[in-house]
Parts: sequence; structure tokens; C-alpha cells
Amino acid sequence: MDRIYFNNCLTSKPAPEVVKLTTEYMNNRFYFPENFNAMGTTTSEDLDNAKRVIANSMGANSKEIHFTSGGTAANNLAIKGYLTANSNKGTHIICSVIDYPDILTNAAFFENSGFDVTYLEADNEGFIDLEQLKNSIREDTILFMTTIGNHTVGTIQPLKEIKEILDSAEQKIAIHVDACEAYARIPINVNELGIDLMTISAHKIHGPQGIGALYQRKGIKLGLVQHGVNRMDNLQTGGLNIASIAGFAKAVELAFDEKEDNMSKIRKLSDYLLNKIETTIPDTLLNGPRGNKRAPHNINISFDYIEGEAIMMMMDISGISISTGSACASQGLKPNYVLMALGRNHEQSHSSMKFTFSRYNTFQEIDYTVEKLAEVVKELRSRSPLCN
Amino acid sequence: MQYSQKVLDHFMKPHNVGKLENPDAEATEGSPACGDQISITLKIDPETNVINDIKFQSYGCASNIATGSIITDMAMGKTIEEAKNITWKGAAHELDGLPPVKMHCSVLAVDTLKKAIKKYEIEHGLAVAELFSKKTIVEELKKVIYPGVGEDIVTLKMVKYVGFENGIATIDVEIPKFDKYRNNVVEEIEEHLEAFDEIKEVKVTI
Repeated sequence: MDRIYFNNCLTSKPAPEVVKLTTEYMNNRFYFPENFNAMGTTTSEDLDNAKRVIANSMGANSKEIHFTSGGTAANNLAIKGYLTANSNKGTHIICSVIDYPDILTNAAFFENSGFDVTYLEADNEGFIDLEQLKNSIREDTILFMTTIGNHTVGTIQPLKEIKEILDSAEQKIAIHVDACEAYARIPINVNELGIDLMTISAHKIHGPQGIGALYQRKGIKLGLVQHGVNRMDNLQTGGLNIASIAGFAKAVELAFDEKEDNMSKIRKLSDYLLNKIETTIPDTLLNGPRGNKRAPHNINISFDYIEGEAIMMMMDISGISISTGSACASQGLKPNYVLMALGRNHEQSHSSMKFTFSRYNTFQEIDYTVEKLAEVVKELRSRSPLCN
Repeated sequence: MQYSQKVLDHFMKPHNVGKLENPDAEATEGSPACGDQISITLKIDPETNVINDIKFQSYGCASNIATGSIITDMAMGKTIEEAKNITWKGAAHELDGLPPVKMHCSVLAVDTLKKAIKKYEIEHGLAVAELFSKKTIVEELKKVIYPGVGEDIVTLKMVKYVGFENGIATIDVEIPKFDKYRNNVVEEIEEHLEAFDEIKEVKVTI
């Protein structure tokens, strides 16, 4: 059996159709957009088409889409661009303690630059505190940022309710959403949800690495983050990654292919895994909510008495890729900050395992994975002083 | 980052796993909260002081399990005097090396073995409990590994001052402001020193 891969939100395998198309672009359609010559005009049309595909997937207009070099670049363009262009209206921003690092590190950067930041708390399922949000709004609040499908536990934030609260302020409070993990896994319509800025990334949905996009609602002003030659629109400077843009659009087409109903498929797969783990392996704890309030591609579960890096490595040796929130496997040797903010203790964080699904996963893979996981957990528990 | 094949072998099929009934010596170090814990039990011949049997249990990562396995192999059949000469660097060497960020696992495993032997020696009149002093603190700080290079913070001259007065241990360490292991080093120092009954409070300044 080929390697079984459940790290699709770390990065996902490019779809064969994407690889074929990007290769074709690199070989034959590499040109930059330019007027009045055949190759440049074709590229312009291709770029417009790619923007249209992405815009359609979220109910936006293609003029509201900007390509970036990835999700982090798009988040930086959104946050830095908005705050530099609108700081005359206020210097207070709101996010939550469980947001994706792109949001948190940008918030910290602006905090050090004289902005005030409110970091909302989250409950034990990862929903941000709406009462605290209401009480946090000030006359100078200009931006609210959230990770719509939490990157650790999959919690889908109630954006409609959040929007209502933000709209009760007299001034405009823009909403920036990091949707890199939730995009194409839950329906997101920027108009229905009142989103002003939204980040998406290709490599988490079987597109190429190194390409992302920012949705910028018409009328939302952004400052330039990177100055330089302008080849496409006012916000995008520098060279264009034509092949990856084409591949990104192809990945979006495939992900949103109505015939495939990928969102339901992924939900069925993750429900199947969760049920199988909970009925097969004792002493587990699901992190994050159950059901429709959880993004369908994410299962995060802790295994009592044992440590996650050991689980991850044994599964890896069995040919199965999953990730862990254990401090041992983290860069700074720290337990996962989202799980700790949700009230999990160190042991529960160290023993947490995260599965992120793709439409390419199968029920057969899950059967094999849970069989191996049960063996690994049993073996590690037999070595643990905490259950002997 | 990759583990050596020997680490993987000891991780997948560790030697001497378990808990001895009625052990002559035992110790548990680390804690689940910190992500790693080792328990060691030993059978020691009272005539020869030879370690006749030794077992370990581990809550921890691959290197925690592998170091538990290797040090029990190294100590098996040795006298307690010989076993006391096992060092964390020696254990890591036996495993064909450990990544710098995992060296603390070797420290924990060897420290647990030495604590068990020390308790045995005190109980059997082979040694006396050492008086607590500033030197004890310095020796304990030699067990705090800077994960960036896999060496202890005393050898790396990161410790600039050690004070002990009225139950308060004051430690000054030098770590760059944006070092990703900054908090980890501080927590490790606190964890190591708070284990001493004589220390009521640990103050770490960076």
C-alpha cells in the first residue's frame, strides 16, 4: 500500500490535473501579461480566467482577487495593507488567542508599533467569546481578524453572529478571515458572511506550493506591502508565478466540482475515522467540537498516558503520516498553544494527534490506519509508567 | 531532523521495558506535563553491588524511550560504581548520537538511574546525603540542556550568576531575546530547581 497521508493541511499532494497543467504552462505558456502581442495577451486572458474561477468559488468578483506567493503573504498583505492604509481611523484591532500564527505574529508586530490588540479568549471547543467581543469594541477599533476553520481543532467561527456584533459599532470594523484551511471544505460566500478580506492557499487543496490569493472587497483600502514593478494590478508587484496561478485555478475547479461533492465526501471520511477510533481505542478525547460546527477535514484527538511524537513516529514507520501537538515534535519545544487555550492540560496536548483529510483519502485507508493506531497506542501504553 | 538507525531500533524494540517486583532501588524523574517521564527499577546484589536486573518505563518521545533502553543495557551487569560513570553524553554516543534538541532525554534517563543508585547507597550506608548548597544548584543546572546545540547551559557559559539565600535561588542566564528556546530554558531551570525541598522559590532573570 502507498503511504497514507493525513497531513493535507500541512500541505497536500498536487492533483495530477494540476501537475499536468502547470507543466504545460512552464513548457509553453510561461509568458508575462502584456498588451499587443499574442503570448502576452493569452497570458492576460489566462490570469483573468484564473481570477474568475477563484472569485466564483466564494461569490466574489474577479477584480477582488489578488495572487500572492502563499497564504502567509496574503495574510500579511491583508493585515499590514489594511492597517497602514486605515490607521488614521483608529489603532485598535481584535483577534483571538487561538488564531493562526500569521494573524498572531502580525498582531504582535502592530502591538509593538503602537496599536492596541484585544486577544479574545476561546471556550473549550474553540469558539471565540462573543460577549468579550461585544465588550472589546471601541471607537477606534478598525479590524477584526479570525481563522474561520481553526487550524488545530477545526472549529468554525460563527461569522454571521460576529458580523452582527461588529456592525453594531458606529464605525466600520473590517473583517479579515484566514480561510486557508477551511476554503473548499466548508461553503464560504464572502457576501453572505460579510467578509472584507480573505486569505486562501493553493497547496492545501491539491494545488501548487508557493501560490495563494487574497480576496479584497471592493472599497476596502489596502496599502502596499511590497513596492516594485507593477505587472498585474496595484497591489501585486514583481514577477508573476503564471504556472502556479493556472495550477491554483485548476485545483479550485477540481475541489468545487459539483459532481464530486467533495465536502460531503470529506465529512463522511472524517466521521468514519472518529467513530472507528472512539469505538476501538479506549481513553481518547476529541479536541474541538463535534458535527457541523467543525470543519469536516479535521480530526484532533488525544490519547491518554502516552506522548504524541512517539505515536507519530510509529505511525510514520508504518507508512502513515499524521501530526501531533506534542511539545517534543514542535520547533520551540512548547505544547500546542491552541489546545492549551482550550483548557486542555499539558498531557492532553502532548498526546494530541491531528488528521487532516483530503478527497483522495479512502475508507480502506482509514480501516488500516485505525488498525495500526490501535496497535501503536497499545504498545506505547504497555511501556508507560502512567498506566502501569 | 533524523534519528540514527540505532535510536529507531531501540525505540521500536526497546530492551528492559517494565517494572521489577520488589526492587532494591527505584526512581522516577520528569513529569507528563513536561512531556517526558522515566521510571527505573533495579535489583542489586548486596554482596557485590552488581546490578542483576534493571527495567524502565517511559512516557515520552522516541529518544526518551531509546535512551531508557540504552542506559538499562549499559547498566545491566555493572557494579553500581561502574553504573555511576554512565554519562548522558556516553548514552547518546552509544545511540550513534541524538539531535541537539533531544539531548535532554539522555540527561533525564541517566539522571533517573543515578538518583535510584544514590537512594540505594544512602539506604545501605554506602553514601551520605549531600548537604544542599549553591554547588548543588550549579550541578543541577548542568542538567539543563540548551536545545539549540545539545549542550548544558553551564558548559555553554549561559549561566552568569547563581545565588541562594533564605530559600530563594536566583539564576541569571544569558539567552538572546528572540531565541525560540528562551522560554523552554527558563521552564527547564525552574522545573529542575523546584524539585529541591530546600528551594522555596526560583527566580530566573534573562
